[in-house]
Amino acid sequence: MNKLLEYILENYNNIISLTWEHIFIVSIAMVFAVIIGVPAGIFITRYEVFAKKVINTANIFMTIPSIALFGIMLPLLSPFNLGLGKVPAIIALVLYSQLPIIRNTYVAIKNVDPAIVDAAKGTGLSRWRLLKEIEAPLAIPVIIAGVRTASVMSIGITAIAAYIGAGGLGVLIDQGINRYYTEMVVTGAIMVSILAIFVDAFMAALERISTPKGVILGRKLEK
Amino acid sequence: MIINFLGKLKTFFLFVLFVLTGVYLEKIGFFDYITDPYEYPYILRLLKQHIVMVAVSMFLATITGVVVGIILTRPKFSKYSGIVMYIVGLGQTIPSLAVLALSLSVLGIGFKPAVFALYIYSVLPIARNTLAGILSVPPEIKDAAKGTGFSNMRILFEIEIPYSMSVIITGFRVALVINIGTVALGYLIGAGGLGELIFTGISLMDTKMLLAGAIPTTLLALFGDFLCELASFILVPKGLRTSSKTN
Amino acid sequence: MIRYENVRKVYTGKNEDVVALKDVTLDIDKGSLVVLLGPSGCGKTTLLRLTNRLEKLTSGKILVKNEDIKTFNEVKLRQSMGYVIQQIGLFPNKTIKENVGIVPKLLGWNKKRIDDRVDELLDMVNLDPTTYRNRYPVELSGGQQQRVGVARALGADPDILLMDEPFGAIDPINREQIQNVFLKLQEKLKKTIVFVSHDIHEAIKMGDKIAIFREGQLLQYDTPIDLLTRPENRFVSDFVGADRALKVLGLIRARDIVNKDYSKLVIQSDIPAEEALNNLTANKKRFFIVLKNNKPIGYVDKQVLNYEKGRVEKLAKPFSGQIEMMETLRDVLSLMLMSEGAFYPVVDDKGDFIGTISYKDIQDKLVNIYKEDED
Repeated sequence: MNKLLEYILENYNNIISLTWEHIFIVSIAMVFAVIIGVPAGIFITRYEVFAKKVINTANIFMTIPSIALFGIMLPLLSPFNLGLGKVPAIIALVLYSQLPIIRNTYVAIKNVDPAIVDAAKGTGLSRWRLLKEIEAPLAIPVIIAGVRTASVMSIGITAIAAYIGAGGLGVLIDQGINRYYTEMVVTGAIMVSILAIFVDAFMAALERISTPKGVILGRKLEK
Repeated sequence: MIINFLGKLKTFFLFVLFVLTGVYLEKIGFFDYITDPYEYPYILRLLKQHIVMVAVSMFLATITGVVVGIILTRPKFSKYSGIVMYIVGLGQTIPSLAVLALSLSVLGIGFKPAVFALYIYSVLPIARNTLAGILSVPPEIKDAAKGTGFSNMRILFEIEIPYSMSVIITGFRVALVINIGTVALGYLIGAGGLGELIFTGISLMDTKMLLAGAIPTTLLALFGDFLCELASFILVPKGLRTSSKTN
Repeated sequence: MIRYENVRKVYTGKNEDVVALKDVTLDIDKGSLVVLLGPSGCGKTTLLRLTNRLEKLTSGKILVKNEDIKTFNEVKLRQSMGYVIQQIGLFPNKTIKENVGIVPKLLGWNKKRIDDRVDELLDMVNLDPTTYRNRYPVELSGGQQQRVGVARALGADPDILLMDEPFGAIDPINREQIQNVFLKLQEKLKKTIVFVSHDIHEAIKMGDKIAIFREGQLLQYDTPIDLLTRPENRFVSDFVGADRALKVLGLIRARDIVNKDYSKLVIQSDIPAEEALNNLTANKKRFFIVLKNNKPIGYVDKQVLNYEKGRVEKLAKPFSGQIEMMETLRDVLSLMLMSEGAFYPVVDDKGDFIGTISYKDIQDKLVNIYKEDED
């Protein structure tokens, strides 16, 4: 235990910088994932024909083990000098995040009671108003839940991405194992775990905040 | 009309991709590598190691997960379900690499620490889904069964479990896919498996070795996923089948 | 106010086309509540939804206030009409206040005007504003929710209301209540209402006129009484029900058939018995109806007058019941079935005598109505 604390204090700066690097990679990936995934999710609610296929495709990506995907991407992207480093990591993260984000977006919008949509249209809300005032507030918490799943998953995958040169807290684990430096390994493991737990809790709070009061009451009353 | 065209386009595209991949693999000597009599016993041995690790950890995890899940639904223990599930949930949040790394620091290197880490990591989805599945059985049905004279054991085996089969298998599937991927990382703590080919391939910039590890791992995961779909088809009673991936 | 001209709606399908409305022409007058009635699939809901362009016309025209609805902006058209549906459809993420005030908000009213209007509307549907305005839909019962639905439809005071089986999802007891609340409201507001229903009882109760549909065609368009007494074909008379004679009883009121013949048989209560008796014999009458301050208190016949003395007021035998002029014939008949009496006095809302009703009077009147019935 003492050795662990000693290690952390000595390498404090390095640890912090790696943590930031880790956060950076995940954040960029999430931004892209949402920009691609949410509109895709909305698209398949309008054009049902694609729904099954899109979701199945995203699901296949989720099934491929992350290190295997990194492995496959390496020869594909090396010609562009992008086989190693942050870029393939971010690309993989975006691909992995599509399933939770697209699926949650799709389900969120589909779950808005069609009677409510009909009443809204008949009362005189334009498509835009309907989306803004009714569909979005009801769908957003579920979409955030999807982003939450994707984020936590991404933190784990990013740790693995250290092995293809992306940096981040996985570096501590990698180098720690190589050097037989247990404290380094444990620090890496603990830091990345704390990060994951923290992000999960943070997003859970976001989920709660974004749920409209009328919906929260509804859930309470159901119990 | 457009959908048909797009469907055909997709099939054509996949076919072209398939052919190009084959050509590429041939070019880099992939097929020669895996059929080389010096190499392929080695590759096969790693594959076997991989499968054994998956099988052992999944077997233990399933038993533990299902039993724990069921126990937590029994009235005597239901008050613990909240806490246990919270801890389980927390555990699921922790990245797989971290779990392996911690297992390494406590238990050392090799097959056993890896399997232990895998076991812990795979219990989580199974237990959670078992719990959720059994809790979602409509109380009226259990009530009707009790009223008809079913013993609690019978209710469990003839009603609660079949009812939650679909959800439990989904939990198993999630655990299995993650497990196969995590076993690939097991190499890092000295457990062997296909990860050896992948990581060594990356270090040496040896594409055919890398792919000799990555492709089987991927196929294993896809196959495992497929087997679960099959199992679901067989084990889930006809009247309870729901559509899968949009759930 | 609303005019449907040769309205035709066809849904094109993979295997076949479904003709929802064949060729419907219908006029709805301002201030009237017209019920579109018929079995499932007859096209009534389709016609309603064509009116606010939630569905598109295949051919034909729909005119509101003499202007083709196609010339209006879709969204603005809907804002000018109230829309109430069976599943209610309140916005769960908004408070009651925000729900009811949605159209005024879309139209840009200022906050105070909206708040006042919301309170006014909640009051109109018998929901106390202070209690309910900040609640959420999920906290209200089905009947309360639909009342909010009606309030929401009336938000910006539209001239036209479109209602699609609005009370269908409410339990029978509350349904009757909310129907009554709504009828009172309509009496005050006199909106032009298109009301879809599949229930003949509801149609008779609510409608000024009823339009019966079957498989996309308009079969008959009449007032409830005309529909019941003169059904145009077998389908209509079957739909309306074999007991339509009884249903009519719910529509006709005592004052419609009060018999004034006996008005000559009236005497005042302060007349002494002997005088009454003489009067009776002289005019060859058998009895008198005794009035005090114009209110019927009973009757006297020869028998009573022969053996008693004093003012007729004291001697009058009371009637076994009396009828108010606004009572429906259903209630009148119910009274008659429960007591004995050759006839009963009818009074107005002040209690003053206006005539009598007997079973024969009812029969005579109804036989006349059904004269053109046989087909």
